[in-house]
Amino acid sequence: MSAVLKVEDLAKTFILWEKGLVRKKIRAVESVSFSVEKNEIFGFVGPNGAGKTTTIKMLMGLIFPSAGTIEILGRRLIGHKTVDIEAKRVIGFLPENPYFYDYLTGRELLDFVGRLFGIPGPERQRRIHDLLDLVGLGRAGNLALRKYSKGMLQRIGIAQALINNPELVILDEPMSGLDPIGRKEIRDLIVQLRDQGKTVFFSTHILSDVELICNRVAIVVGGKLRDVGPLDKLLSPRLLHTEVVLETAGERREHRLPPTEDVDAFLLRALSEGHKVISVTPRRESIEDLFVREVEQSDTGMGAQHKLGREARP
Amino acid sequence: MNRVFAIAQNTFREAVRNKVLYALLVFGIGVILFALPLGQMSLSEQARVTRDVGLAGIELFGILISVFIGVNLVHKEIDRKTIYALVPKPLHRYEFIIGKYLGIVATLLLMVAIMSIMLLAVLFAQEAPIESTLIRAITMLFVELMVVTAVAIFFSSFSTPFLSGLFTLVLCVIGLSTDSLRILIKKLPAALQFVAGFALRLLPDLRMFYVSGTMLDGRWISIHQGNYVDWSYVALATAYGMGYATVILLLSMWIFSRRDFI
Repeated sequence: MSAVLKVEDLAKTFILWEKGLVRKKIRAVESVSFSVEKNEIFGFVGPNGAGKTTTIKMLMGLIFPSAGTIEILGRRLIGHKTVDIEAKRVIGFLPENPYFYDYLTGRELLDFVGRLFGIPGPERQRRIHDLLDLVGLGRAGNLALRKYSKGMLQRIGIAQALINNPELVILDEPMSGLDPIGRKEIRDLIVQLRDQGKTVFFSTHILSDVELICNRVAIVVGGKLRDVGPLDKLLSPRLLHTEVVLETAGERREHRLPPTEDVDAFLLRALSEGHKVISVTPRRESIEDLFVREVEQSDTGMGAQHKLGREARP
Repeated sequence: MNRVFAIAQNTFREAVRNKVLYALLVFGIGVILFALPLGQMSLSEQARVTRDVGLAGIELFGILISVFIGVNLVHKEIDRKTIYALVPKPLHRYEFIIGKYLGIVATLLLMVAIMSIMLLAVLFAQEAPIESTLIRAITMLFVELMVVTAVAIFFSSFSTPFLSGLFTLVLCVIGLSTDSLRILIKKLPAALQFVAGFALRLLPDLRMFYVSGTMLDGRWISIHQGNYVDWSYVALATAYGMGYATVILLLSMWIFSRRDFI
């Protein structure tokens, strides 16, 4: 597979002046390295303030890195205070909590963005029509953006990110602030984009979304990359416990069996005692467990270096 | 160039959909119309009063509109985070500044044109002769507004709207008082004279765009008499204004292209 996006040793240090006198260095992102392969959905996961948005802003040329390199399809994106605009042609980007020109209609916004990409008029109009349909805003295209709901803004944001038919789609917290239906719609759209042959990189702190659609994830905590790789390789295959729900005289009770306990023997005993077995669920490590483990390790300083900036275990 | 034009057109669209702009325009037109009753109070000098009040109104409200949209339209992109969706597009940051500037200048052109048509209509109603001197005066006022807009964009490329507006207005006041300041500087000690004189040269000399009623090269210039400046002076003033605006915009582009959008 070929890397669509390759990030090496990316770092950002902000310099703040406290009370205008004291110079303070804030390391927002430290030596982050990963690559996103063609036609995969790559989740960039981390708690609030982990450095996800700063990393994405560096990928988009909004913030200049203090160190490191970013390559899009083999082209170096950022030089010293310069950005290769040709490399940006193949990227579609949705910012976090997107704000657009609220005096424009959805159609006008897409037309404006299409013109920035230099898409010729008839082709632009065709794409606007198709994209409004794709994101379910066909009827709202002539409505001013100030009248759009949060979900509609997110969808028009995705439409503007796709106007150039990008190879790489970067979405910063695309499910943030959406209701379950809205989140599902965006998830379905991301999968649809992957099926169309696009590569999707998105950041989130909603772990269930990652578990559902991502081929690979990177976990960033405290500005450092803690883990990157396919979910099934990152998650421990070890059985944590088995949850058994029994019903007795109409009352349900949950039993949590340690991995050492014989589940078959427990169930036979329960049935012989007149209990009804409602469910048996073996619990293995979820992405949430992994996430908490990584955050806790980061807090205690354990394992801060052991996976830093390298691909996950095979 | 298409990208610059797209930004300029979007800026123009944003400006003309802004209600505050219309409030300023209405005030500007109000001042021009005020010349009618004011002119009636001055016997046989109606056209003179209309021309003076009208040009002063275009200059004053033109400056206010320039500062208002120049400061707001750049800073609002950062404040409302619309820039986050714009910079990632295949666009050079300097193209954003040029596009914004051209969009604002196009808006000013429309505003000045509306106020000028009002002024000409009032003069027509007073049956006063409409001479080319008025066109020359309005042309120079427009160049002055182009300089003010560049200064407003420069400040808003790194400062808050309030401070940018304040700095720009202070610079306008200084720029319109360069002759008085030069007299004051002559009274300073020799060492300070050099520093203050140099600083004054760095600031825009806006006085050269409004020459009626001032001394120029030792002679009194008036738009009401036959000795008003000719087109060669207008060309010279325009070259100065465009040159000054270009340098200021280059500085803005340099600042803007190096900043992080956190």
